[in-house]
Amino acid sequence: MRAFLGYIDPGNGSYLVQMIIAGVLGALFYFKSLWFRIRSFFSKNKNKPDPRNDSEDKDS
Amino acid sequence: MTAKIKIADYHAHPASFRDPSGFIFQTQGCWYRQVNVSYQEPYRLLMDSGLYVKLREKELLVAHEELQQNLTGEPHWFLTLKPEQLSFISYPEEWSPAQLRDAALCTLTILRSAIGHAMILKDATPRNIQFLRGKPLLIDTLSFERYDPTQPWIAYRQFCECFLYPLLLHHYRARGTHKTLIAWPEGIPAQLAADSLPRRSRLRMSTWLHVLLPARMARPRVKPAEHGPERPTPPFSQEKLLRLIDHLTTVIRTLDLRTAAAEGWSNYYDQTILSAAYLHEKERLFREYIGALSFDSALDLGANNGHFSRIMAEKAQRVIAVDADWACIQQLYGYTREHRITGIYPLCVDLANPTPASGFHHREKTSFTQRAGSDLVVALALVHHLVLAQNIPLPLIAAWLAELTHRWLLVEFVPTGDPKARELLSAKKTYPGPYDPSAFEAALRPYFQQERQTVIPGTERILYLFQKNPQP
Repeated sequence: MRAFLGYIDPGNGSYLVQMIIAGVLGALFYFKSLWFRIRSFFSKNKNKPDPRNDSEDKDS
Repeated sequence: MTAKIKIADYHAHPASFRDPSGFIFQTQGCWYRQVNVSYQEPYRLLMDSGLYVKLREKELLVAHEELQQNLTGEPHWFLTLKPEQLSFISYPEEWSPAQLRDAALCTLTILRSAIGHAMILKDATPRNIQFLRGKPLLIDTLSFERYDPTQPWIAYRQFCECFLYPLLLHHYRARGTHKTLIAWPEGIPAQLAADSLPRRSRLRMSTWLHVLLPARMARPRVKPAEHGPERPTPPFSQEKLLRLIDHLTTVIRTLDLRTAAAEGWSNYYDQTILSAAYLHEKERLFREYIGALSFDSALDLGANNGHFSRIMAEKAQRVIAVDADWACIQQLYGYTREHRITGIYPLCVDLANPTPASGFHHREKTSFTQRAGSDLVVALALVHHLVLAQNIPLPLIAAWLAELTHRWLLVEFVPTGDPKARELLSAKKTYPGPYDPSAFEAALRPYFQQERQTVIPGTERILYLFQKNPQP
């Protein structure tokens, strides 16, 4: 485990927790995108918004 | 450029000692923030990357001006900041759930902005957030550090414990967040949150990800690690972190913070036996009384949904509105946000047991009474609760009110014959007596001079105006 260089305690296994959460969210995102692609392939309406663009326009 | 001379005596803020990057201090009646040499690089990055300007545009970070003067004489000095002075400091344990939610969303928005400027928040405590002009903003200018995309967010656990878990508990239990945070000022540990959440919370993915998983990981391992050299962990990435932040934002945004709570005070004016005529008369008298007074600050004790606080806000720069019922305070907060009312500070405080001084040496946080002093103190239909329900004798209440007000006291006396007082006494017969108008006036006499009194038409209730005796 890496050492954090902060003055607050990140907590036991905080790194791993965030790795797992990010992994789960990434997988969900992947399946969601896949589902949208399949749906738009079979649907006539191809103008439906792609979820991949959902968070892109937020503040950065 | 710099005179390393101590030009004035200063006193460091007693809560500003944890972060070695700098500290807050007061001198000549003004609050300043010292930036230490060790924080020089992140501070320059905050200012030069455009992050400060961006956060100021959105009013998410407190404004400051730089002073090239070492006011403390400390050898670690790099820069002095003079932040915008705040007229009142409130604590998360005094906020309604909607205020805590907005503070959480403010923190996440700042975090997202920071990442876009190659910086990150190094802590995430609600104590760094204050409400200014009715909206939350970050007051700790030194909370930023350079972002390393290979690392996750160091303050993730702190964010969950201080913001997410109290809000989640409220979502399922509807008990407010203030009492939880009085008990757990540094946040609720994941295991405790996991134990306190109902079974149905397991239907939510966010409970598994942000509560149960961290609770499981925080448990000490049964077997100590036996393996040799630690295996390198795969690096984190910015994409992963942004996904985590977006998820936290969505979870918090979609929580149900129900204002229609069971505690019952939020509909006091609408549904109770108190008639519209009574309220109308009381408001008329109230406006007449305060119309003749000059005051910059006001404190509304037992504010309910803030009907009278709003009237005072038309005149005063700052009105602190307190009530024990979080639903009332949340309703008032919603109203101030919706109507862009900037001078009202709605707070959940139990006046029979107000926020204590706390933290290390009892000095990190000051007591409610120490903070809330105002030119005008208003206590409408409050005293009978303190005496008849809480058994607090009139002389003690008088001494407390005298400590709170700088000058004026506007108070409504509800005698025992009033239906509301009778309701309080229906199951409980003993209270500290005598309790009648003359005893009330006698209790206040050591501290105040009576200016006016009027019986509210159609009731036995009396509205009094007192002026505090000049201090010897």
